[in-house]
Amino acid sequence: MVDIASLEGLPEYDVTWPWSAGDTLAPGLTCVFRVRNEARNLPWVLPPILAAVQHVVFVDNGSDDGTPDVARRVAQEAGAADRLTVLHYPHRVARAGGEHLATPATSVHSLTHFYNWCFSHVRTTYSMKWDGDMVLTPEGAGILRDLAWQLEATRAVVAMPRHPLTVVDESTGWLDLSLRFLEPWVYPMGPDTTFVKAFDWELREQPPGIERVVLQQGLVVEVKWLDADEYAHWRTDGVDFTNTRLYRKLREFEVDEAIRSGRADQLGGLVKVTAPPGVHVIDHVSRDWLWRQPRPLVTHSLPSSLRERVRA
Amino acid sequence: MSTRRVVLVVGSGRSGTSTMAGTLKTLGLHVPQPEVAADATNPRGFGEPRWMVDLHDELLKRSNVQVSDARPRAWLDAGAISGDHATRERVTAWLEDQLTGHDELVLKDPRAAWFLGLWRACAERCGATTSYVTMLRPPTEVVASKQTNYGRMGAGSDRGTVTRTAAWVNMMLHTERATRGHQRRFVRYADLLEDWTRPVFALGEAFDLAAVKTAMAVDIAEVHRFIDPSLRRSSMSWDEIGAPPRLRDLAEETWQALDGLADDGGDSAAAHARCDELRVAYDDQYAEAEAFAHSSVLAARREAAARARDEAGPQGATGRDVADRVPHAVRAMVPPAARRGLRKALGRERGEA
Repeated sequence: MVDIASLEGLPEYDVTWPWSAGDTLAPGLTCVFRVRNEARNLPWVLPPILAAVQHVVFVDNGSDDGTPDVARRVAQEAGAADRLTVLHYPHRVARAGGEHLATPATSVHSLTHFYNWCFSHVRTTYSMKWDGDMVLTPEGAGILRDLAWQLEATRAVVAMPRHPLTVVDESTGWLDLSLRFLEPWVYPMGPDTTFVKAFDWELREQPPGIERVVLQQGLVVEVKWLDADEYAHWRTDGVDFTNTRLYRKLREFEVDEAIRSGRADQLGGLVKVTAPPGVHVIDHVSRDWLWRQPRPLVTHSLPSSLRERVRA
Repeated sequence: MSTRRVVLVVGSGRSGTSTMAGTLKTLGLHVPQPEVAADATNPRGFGEPRWMVDLHDELLKRSNVQVSDARPRAWLDAGAISGDHATRERVTAWLEDQLTGHDELVLKDPRAAWFLGLWRACAERCGATTSYVTMLRPPTEVVASKQTNYGRMGAGSDRGTVTRTAAWVNMMLHTERATRGHQRRFVRYADLLEDWTRPVFALGEAFDLAAVKTAMAVDIAEVHRFIDPSLRRSSMSWDEIGAPPRLRDLAEETWQALDGLADDGGDSAAAHARCDELRVAYDDQYAEAEAFAHSSVLAARREAAARARDEAGPQGATGRDVADRVPHAVRAMVPPAARRGLRKALGRERGEA
């Protein structure tokens, strides 16, 4: 029985939830990736995730850099090939913001439908979305790995702070410790935790009053590559977002600009990290640097400059 | 590669964990000092570092979990503080101190099962490999030994055996889950008492323990003197334990599944799947029992709240409490002006309306 028929009438991309398909959910946690062109990050991103969760559903959305093959290779090297499911979603998905707003929720082009389709492949009691640029520290992997069974006896949502790391070159990076990027990532699977449409992007529903577990700071970094110039279109196209959660995107842009123009140390909240010779800065930050830093790593949730801008 | 090793001896209390820790200590692994002193319940010593026991007591208190807790969700509560930065720093500093001068440690405390993630992460910070030895003993013997050594849990018709059986299932199934995928071995208490050389030799090989691999004859002789086969003397029948049939069946099936893990090749995917099924079944059974006994929980909560109010005494009482304790007839005798003054003093002024 189909739960959400795709607007375009493509049966392969209809959504059927496991509870409608009559499938039972095994105890454990499945990580769901929706990625495009993340081949470069996967050697850092996938191994700790594979160490933490029971299964990975890896959905490629039109990569042309060999992302699915890299995912398979990394999983193979980690001895976890049997715990990786690679799927392809060939439809162009609307960009967050106005384009998303204009797209019907059940269209294969909607972020909402895309997420529901991806998560309908989960067969464990808990699921977690993960981005192709998020690197878990070894201690973060240990904590998630334990949560995967500690959560069994209850229904809870798990929020995890993450810290953006802009990689300048192999040995240098800037870590943004100015904002608390605290978002829920882990949810129990069920009809009350599916995705609905919000203004700018999709939103995962949660039952009112559900228990919320908040993990410690310093367990996840979000990798940005300075040489990828991912904010280039911002400079030419302007920003395609309503003002909800805009400040976070603005901060990313501001950080990128400051590092490019050599003003990173004047911006505030940025910490320069230099790795020892022969060690990549991502490895250094995630394995050796973060756990040694005093806490709290991040003290405020919104820098005053951005507070002013949001109010305006 | 680092030669630092941290061996955690886990499993239910009264399952030979002290015997295992004492054996490894005799062969040359280091037990951090000072240790908890021996007593009548464990005349040959507990093999438990005092610092570790104190830390665990503190963490258990903070997470509102008992040493022997039957609640499946207690694992989440204890786990939630395992990631605490300050706690990790304390444990790492202590471990580093212990590992300086002693490459191979044996750590044992029945409370440790709740905080295995914490110990693993801190050992890793110190460059040490963590391994686990889980001691196995049938629940009928564990419960009997606890009844003998720790006393009955309640007055009148004692249902403590039921609580202890449930706590055993919870502890053992979740300890199996917590150590899965890591370097580990399961050892039957009976095997240890019958011929300790076989399981202990296997541990030395599996965990690459220099102390065991290079044990001197004098140490081996010492272990023979330390292990007392007559230790295993407690047992009860399921009828004596009086657990409800569903719990008894689940405990028995749990024992069968765990017992198989000690066999060569027994720590297999099929065995893990079986343990997963049993854990889910236990969670369901516990949730049902909790719902069944919910009125008792509410009554205990009301009782605790009342006790807290009593303990707070008159200082903790509000103005309303004080005023309400004065009979109406007496209150009526207070002149209106004085009554207004008193109300003001108690912060209970009336509106004009």
